[in-house]
Amino acid sequence: MDLETVKERAGPRQFAPKDDMPEKYRKAATRMIQFHANSEVMGGYLEKPFIRQAPSIDRKLAFSAKVQDEIGHAQLLYRAAESLGIKTREEMLDELANGEGKFLNCFHYPMESWHEVPMIAFFVDGAAMHRQATLKNTSWTPYAHAMDKVCFEEGFHVKHGESILSELMNGSKATQEKTQEAFELWWPRIIQFFGPTNDKSVHNDFAQQVGLKTKSNDELRDTFLDTYVPKAEKYGLEIPEYPRIEYDEAEETYHVNEDDLDWDEFWTIAKNDSEGSHEQIGSRAHAQAAVEWVRESMDSWEQASNTGTPQAAD
Amino acid sequence: MAASLTPEDLDETQRAAIEELLFRMADDEYVQGERLIEWQIYAPTLESDLALANIAQDEFGHARLWYDLLEELGHTEAELIWERPADEFKHTTLVELPFEEGDWADVIVRCYLFDSAERLRLESLVDTSYAPLADRVGKALSEERYHLENAQSWLDRLTDGDSLEHVQDALERLFPHALSLFGEPEYEAEIVENGFRTDAIDDLRVEWLETVIPYLESLGLNVPDPDDAERPTPRGRDGTHTEHWDELAADFRKTYNELEAPEPARIGRERA
Repeated sequence: MDLETVKERAGPRQFAPKDDMPEKYRKAATRMIQFHANSEVMGGYLEKPFIRQAPSIDRKLAFSAKVQDEIGHAQLLYRAAESLGIKTREEMLDELANGEGKFLNCFHYPMESWHEVPMIAFFVDGAAMHRQATLKNTSWTPYAHAMDKVCFEEGFHVKHGESILSELMNGSKATQEKTQEAFELWWPRIIQFFGPTNDKSVHNDFAQQVGLKTKSNDELRDTFLDTYVPKAEKYGLEIPEYPRIEYDEAEETYHVNEDDLDWDEFWTIAKNDSEGSHEQIGSRAHAQAAVEWVRESMDSWEQASNTGTPQAAD
Repeated sequence: MAASLTPEDLDETQRAAIEELLFRMADDEYVQGERLIEWQIYAPTLESDLALANIAQDEFGHARLWYDLLEELGHTEAELIWERPADEFKHTTLVELPFEEGDWADVIVRCYLFDSAERLRLESLVDTSYAPLADRVGKALSEERYHLENAQSWLDRLTDGDSLEHVQDALERLFPHALSLFGEPEYEAEIVENGFRTDAIDDLRVEWLETVIPYLESLGLNVPDPDDAERPTPRGRDGTHTEHWDELAADFRKTYNELEAPEPARIGRERA
């Protein structure tokens, strides 16, 4: 299929592995899905310590289920990415370990206290849900299928995140203040979740033309704010003065003043070059290298079982 | 004999006996879960990560089942998990030991030793006289069988080549701790007389040794002699623990303490 045909036919779940897709499409889709899969892994990495530190056994179970879900999502997404025939899962996991694999800006920051937990578990996951819901209509069918399951499970995660936020904002004054501080720290990052504004985005146009994305960064960011600004306020959080967020009466939507956001930091992170990127990618890579012996042992075991070892021949 | 005893039927000694039984079970499962989650994101493959996360999740779920039974006897989650002095936890020291980075053999051997004992313990509770326990054993037992299969399938693979050495090291380190799995409870006589457990702890210990030793040996491993093994001083069951336990307990209570002892939140409970 040539690119012109792809653009003409682009629509929800239009293309599948049986279609002969042009390389440019397959590369763009791989980049997008691999980014998504990597983000699941690195999000899980960030939340993992809070399985242990959750302050009730029910929350512990919910958190442990959540981190498990993230790995399950990664598994699904790497499979959807593999189906494009550009990279294998092993290659993508290697890229993540060696620092080439890209992932969401929010997961490059350390998360140190329980007060920060709902910033990810409610706002970032809420933002992810918001974006993923539109990806159920992506043109790459395996990706859309993955989104069906992911969105279903993420719904529970966001609800749990909201319940944590509600508990914290109904806690002592000190707890509320610490939660507000965490919110102020995370809020600009959460807004940057949706990436740069349309005119600065590198991949946006093509991804939309071929139906991989159905909404622009700006549309997603604005409608996220429409939902989540009132939610934050409902729990008693104050929206920080900067970045300035203005309500557009005519369009009935919020807009952010993008000049108030730190785009140098964003682009440093996008290159995996922030302190947190090094720390988080490095620790995971280190842990993965430490179990390389297990993967090697599995490989040789599988080869032996496939060919039949002399011992097994009895 | 159908289980007939309810919390209201228990006299003071029976109650102490049931509590001792439940504390061991709950604490074992809880602490096993706490250590297993350390592998989330760090397991060798996505598949093994999911399988182990699933097992850890089950262990926490079982811990909750048994803590719930203690709550029926008047305890609260706050005192059971969040405020109980660390030296009153009754889990085996096997489950509290930290993992060395990358030591997947440790997790597999630990799971095997623990899950094989857990299966025997649960089987000895299927016909318990204590009704609340009888209601819950079945679910836990079916899950533990899967855990055991997972551990054995890994052991089969990891003992089939160069990695055998890793498994042997882990076994030598863990086995002496595992011997405390079947340490005699203070109320053993009452536990058996009242039919709370249908086998004596010593019989379970013998059965366990007769199961695990031949199996491990069949894989080419040398199992330390249980009567001759150098046992660690802390035994877990009496509240004595290794130096790693205080650190772990402080870590899982970090948020609870930071938030100044919030009422533990109840969410997403399936109806029993």
